[in-house]
Amino acid sequence: MKILASNHSSYPRVGDGPGEQKHRQAYTRMERGEISEEEFERVQDEITKEVIQRQISAALDIVTDGQIRWHDPISHLARHLEGCEINGLLRFFDTNFYFRQPVVKGDLRRRRPILKREFEFAKKVSAKLLKPVITGPYTLAKLSINRSGSGLRSVVKWFTKVVSEEIADLVEAGASLIQIEEPAILRNPGDWEVFQESIEELVSSKGSSDLLLCTYFGDAAPLYQKLSKLPVDGLVLDFTYSPKLPETISRFGGGKKLGLGVVDGRNTRMENSDEMTGVLRRIISTSGPEEIHVMPSCGLGDYLPSDVAFQKLKKVVEITNTVRASL
Amino acid sequence: MTRKKLEKLGLDLPLLPTTTVGSFPKPPYLLKARRDFMSGQLKSEELRALEERATKEWIKFQEDMGLDVLVDGEMYRGDMATYFARNLDGFKISGLVRSYGNRYYRKPVITGEVKWRGPITVDWWRFAQELTEKPVKGMITGPYTMMDWSFNEYYPSRRDACLAMAKALHEEVRALAKAGAKIIQVDEPAISARPEELHEFAVEAMEMVMKGVDAYFITHICYGAFEFIYPGMLDLPADNFDLEMSNSELDLMDMFRAHPFTKDLSFGVVDVHSHIVEDVETVEKRIRRALEVLKPEQLWIDPDCGLKTRTHDETLGKLRTMMEAVKRVRGDVTLEARVRE
Repeated sequence: MKILASNHSSYPRVGDGPGEQKHRQAYTRMERGEISEEEFERVQDEITKEVIQRQISAALDIVTDGQIRWHDPISHLARHLEGCEINGLLRFFDTNFYFRQPVVKGDLRRRRPILKREFEFAKKVSAKLLKPVITGPYTLAKLSINRSGSGLRSVVKWFTKVVSEEIADLVEAGASLIQIEEPAILRNPGDWEVFQESIEELVSSKGSSDLLLCTYFGDAAPLYQKLSKLPVDGLVLDFTYSPKLPETISRFGGGKKLGLGVVDGRNTRMENSDEMTGVLRRIISTSGPEEIHVMPSCGLGDYLPSDVAFQKLKKVVEITNTVRASL
Repeated sequence: MTRKKLEKLGLDLPLLPTTTVGSFPKPPYLLKARRDFMSGQLKSEELRALEERATKEWIKFQEDMGLDVLVDGEMYRGDMATYFARNLDGFKISGLVRSYGNRYYRKPVITGEVKWRGPITVDWWRFAQELTEKPVKGMITGPYTMMDWSFNEYYPSRRDACLAMAKALHEEVRALAKAGAKIIQVDEPAISARPEELHEFAVEAMEMVMKGVDAYFITHICYGAFEFIYPGMLDLPADNFDLEMSNSELDLMDMFRAHPFTKDLSFGVVDVHSHIVEDVETVEKRIRRALEVLKPEQLWIDPDCGLKTRTHDETLGKLRTMMEAVKRVRGDVTLEARVRE
């Protein structure tokens, strides 16, 4: 069995030191029209590179581009779509972070590929496996205002088509592991059928890549059995909401790949390594997935200050190493 | 019922009392002074003098507007959670955390037992109250919001952190009441973050804050998701709920039709998140719609939220509009109330 240390998704783009404000300052200058969007893109390239280096220096096996260019998990994709406008701010689940809410008016169409260039750049500057992350169709639809006149199923279908095209582009660009984030399903289990259809359709565009289905900000235990039967290559789960999750996984099995979000990405308190390694050993010994990714419970970029985010990644690596050594 | 409480406290307010939520925009000289203070170029007593000057200006502004219940304007505060965290034991302040887009803030971190070490807002309340005959609200950030907006490295659970905050804030509320504050507002914008926690501990926490204190309590709630906590939120022991109504397009009114609102309501009739100043007719219509589901005795009128993100002129425009709309409605309402008597 392989045990890998992984980042989840986003990573802070701004730190506390005077030299760590480049992104923030460039953003302001771009908004004021003092620099062009192309110049801002170059700054985003630079920060992406730094963030990847930082993850590698923490000794992670799997890194992300930190989603430096993402305004938020919802509007980053939606703002590039025809058939959709971007509205005001809304709280992102139960966090202190706010996203811009899309208003869906009808069928959705990409103006151009969205994540491909971002992925190609990040892959080029990363010496480690780079995992692209996409918010899933169901969550995009559920957190949008629907003014299309059609029901939720149609909006999910439209987003599914867009996300499928994105996945195909990423695979073509060389992505071998892709994370689809669907936190909204945990709070709306009644929509399972629509959700399942969407995931099944996504899987058909994954080609040779491995698709990880990820949930967070809720207890995955009640849905675990259903989630584990979906035709994806693995699940990524948030353990901070879910005291019964280890037991549930042990009962129903861990599948092919399993991402264990055991390091709290929402709180600055540092985990007790012994406690965490105990939980991991139990899951590994009873459920036997082929590959384990030890990781934070959610993206770190919108919830933690930069210095703490780095400590959390080091904690992920420390736990991974301890578990590896004990096997 | 709560009108009686106001009278018992010696507060003689007209029907449809007008107020604001708490913050006013900081004048340019104060923004500069705060920057200079941060970089060590200004002494704290110099900053304090400018905060007092700005407070005086806003008190006069509110009196000129004809508002009934005033606020100190929060010239001395940065963020509503970190301000209290800096003045309580048990906290440190984190590095920058993203709020949205290109906005960042510093978040309180609970690192030890939360304790009240002495009055936080009382001096400012007293300073503002001495400038006016009108009642000035005492203002604190509530225990649930303080907990939800802080990292917690010390308490074993959110409940424990929230109740510890409540214990500390109770001391502040007592101190405000002792100084003479008769209306005290407990801001709880985060209260709908996890609806299940409302009855698990948020109601209990607010009870702890207010217990045994003789004052008329307002709780300000914003950032929506009321559909998940209404009507349960009426169990919060406040006399008056201050809700953002214009920003949520008045969809709360339908909920109040389905389940009557049993407390007093401060009804946010102008949108503080928009630069556009509403016209009087729009605001008047909003107030009249509120009166379809509320008795005039239950209703207070104010903006949606604090005005600190608006310019001085937008603040002036929005409040003028609000006061004019209230004037138009008040005449009819007073007549109706008399007819009922």
